[in-house]
Amino acid sequence: MQTTPATSDTDLQADNLRRAAIDKSVKGPVLFLFTNGAFWLMLSTLLGVLAAIKLVEPEFLGDCQYISYGRLQPAHINALVYGWGIQAALGVMLWIMARRSGQELKSGKSLLITAGVFWNITITLGILAILMGKSTSIEWLEMPKFVWPVLLVCFLCYAWPIARMFGRAFRPEGFMVSTWYILGACFWFPWIFITANVALHCLPGLGAIGAGIDAWYIHAVILLFFVPVGVGAAYYFIPKITGQPIASAQLASAGFWTLAILGGWTGMQKYMGGPLPAWMSSVGACAGVLLLIPVGLVGLNHHLTTIGKHSAVAASPTLRFIFFGALFYPVSGLILALNSAFWTGAGLQFTQSWYSFQVVSLYGFFSMCVFGAIYYIVPRLSGCEWLSVRLIRNHFWFSVYGIGTIVIMSLVAGWQQGADLNDPEHWDQTFMNHVVNSRPYVVSRAVAWALISFSNFMFLLHLLLMVAGLGRRSSAPTLLERDHDEHALPHEAHA
Amino acid sequence: MTNFRTFILGLTASFGLPWLCLIVLPAMQYEKLTPVAYDKDKDGVEGFFPPAPVNGQGQLVYISEGCNQCHTQMIRPVQLGLDGWYKGWGTDQEARPTTPARPNVLRDYLGEKYALLGIQRVGPDLANFGYRAPDAAALHAHLYSPRSVHDWSSMPAYKKLYKLQKIQGPASDRALKLPKKFLPPAGYEVVPTPEADRLVEYLLSLKKDYPVPGQAAAVAAAPAKK
Repeated sequence: MQTTPATSDTDLQADNLRRAAIDKSVKGPVLFLFTNGAFWLMLSTLLGVLAAIKLVEPEFLGDCQYISYGRLQPAHINALVYGWGIQAALGVMLWIMARRSGQELKSGKSLLITAGVFWNITITLGILAILMGKSTSIEWLEMPKFVWPVLLVCFLCYAWPIARMFGRAFRPEGFMVSTWYILGACFWFPWIFITANVALHCLPGLGAIGAGIDAWYIHAVILLFFVPVGVGAAYYFIPKITGQPIASAQLASAGFWTLAILGGWTGMQKYMGGPLPAWMSSVGACAGVLLLIPVGLVGLNHHLTTIGKHSAVAASPTLRFIFFGALFYPVSGLILALNSAFWTGAGLQFTQSWYSFQVVSLYGFFSMCVFGAIYYIVPRLSGCEWLSVRLIRNHFWFSVYGIGTIVIMSLVAGWQQGADLNDPEHWDQTFMNHVVNSRPYVVSRAVAWALISFSNFMFLLHLLLMVAGLGRRSSAPTLLERDHDEHALPHEAHA
Repeated sequence: MTNFRTFILGLTASFGLPWLCLIVLPAMQYEKLTPVAYDKDKDGVEGFFPPAPVNGQGQLVYISEGCNQCHTQMIRPVQLGLDGWYKGWGTDQEARPTTPARPNVLRDYLGEKYALLGIQRVGPDLANFGYRAPDAAALHAHLYSPRSVHDWSSMPAYKKLYKLQKIQGPASDRALKLPKKFLPPAGYEVVPTPEADRLVEYLLSLKKDYPVPGQAAAVAAAPAKK
């Protein structure tokens, strides 16, 4: 906890007033991003259900060209990444940075909202274009060429004030590791995004190197944008709510810099054994396994911070989501390592387990942390408390079960697919075994996305009620287990 | 980290190194890559490697339909997967190939704007599909209704690439020959659109198993004429 200990009531009051002023200054853009993001998340999960169904039963809903698997799947992933992921991340980044640096958002609020509007319009056009058959078939960059410059400008509109807040921090000596992560995300994303788009859209054609750059882009965006935002939020909220300081500053620092150093190397192992120069995929595989180090360091640090505070995890919606998000971070690291290492990666190559890595890091880890942050931030911006414990609880459990199912099923499915693809008995066979064996797993993927859709429907509804100002009028936060231990949460947790 | 400038420098250096080594330099080197000539004495063939660019117009259809979500175009070396040994996945179309199809190299994709190496392998690899492909008419039937070929297939039917039209006068010689269950209503026929023709041309042109100049294994595997 870096908040100044209150020596008197007036100090505390002044502190609260300053916080309220900061919250008020970022209210518009942050709520705008969260609400629109939640809509995209809803859409993306529904597309996920539909895509999984189409992969088992291609004739479902007729042979309409707009909803064939080859178009639905990229639309689903792009809505998840650009519609929900980056928007929600920007909202969380803006709020945490404003709070951490003690700076109000002085000007440019309307510019931020305009950028947000353009972001959403562009993504809508991009995803419609994918469904209409204008996809580029470059994974995660399927939206047509005109999309990326607009997205870049919109992103920079947000990144600039965030970086400025960091630079003009009110209390530089009290800076926490969460702000490093957030600034890192702000700084790396435009760089990665420009590199990949220029290479793949503007250069005359990079052939197989282009495919490698695309694989690198996906992993760099996950590891150097989504992971830092998720970890940054976890580092901010875990100490805040448990009232414990971060267990170890050295671990935090080591975790950050190892991620920074390793994150940019990985990705090309997706095409191991392929046409890329062998060293490129080897380096990627090596970094993919070594990333277990930062993942482990951060996981250990969070574990040491929350130790003995598990009643707070049960009671506080924010901490509960973030705690489980933080648990999924090592899980995603493990899946990446399994996909990367030569002896397991050979079997898992070109199977569902790569999809499972994307989904677990985007939804299981990143989104869960962001949900936690949203449960904390929104009441402070809208001036009312969350309406219903049941809605939050359902959101949590359906998400956990859904994402757990996807992770386990995709890994098992990956193993099964790999075994079928590489079974020497199959050398002269059709793909029948392979297709038939993977069916149950794809069905379970559809069911899991349906659970997640259901949970996000409740989340969206709840969020809309809050944004409309229809929440509970109360000074007490909505906790999940109120009769358990009233003193589980220190007072500052509600500030 | 109190010093803002040191911190930014750290962020730049840690990411800049992989960015330079993994992306910028390889991309610059790739731009210099050109086809190489075969050596008639050593390789036994004449001309350049790779001999022919892919059918770009057809590739656009492949791209817009997102075929690479389920089909890879990349043969892996034998120590990594079975790819090279799959029946008919290389030049050698005999019942029992004597040597595995060679893994793909960088030059195989020369001239392609973006190599469609693929995302998942739900269906078979298509890197060398041109060698084992049935004739164009059968391929059209497969694209129009995959389940007419394999009842377990999970491939979408690309009905929109085909035109259902009333038979006027004699039936079109391009009309698809489909099994009874998949036939259009009596008096109608299904003919490919130009898009479907381009896609099929592209699929038939997928031959990435040309011998690599100077590689003995490839020379041995290569048929006398190709």
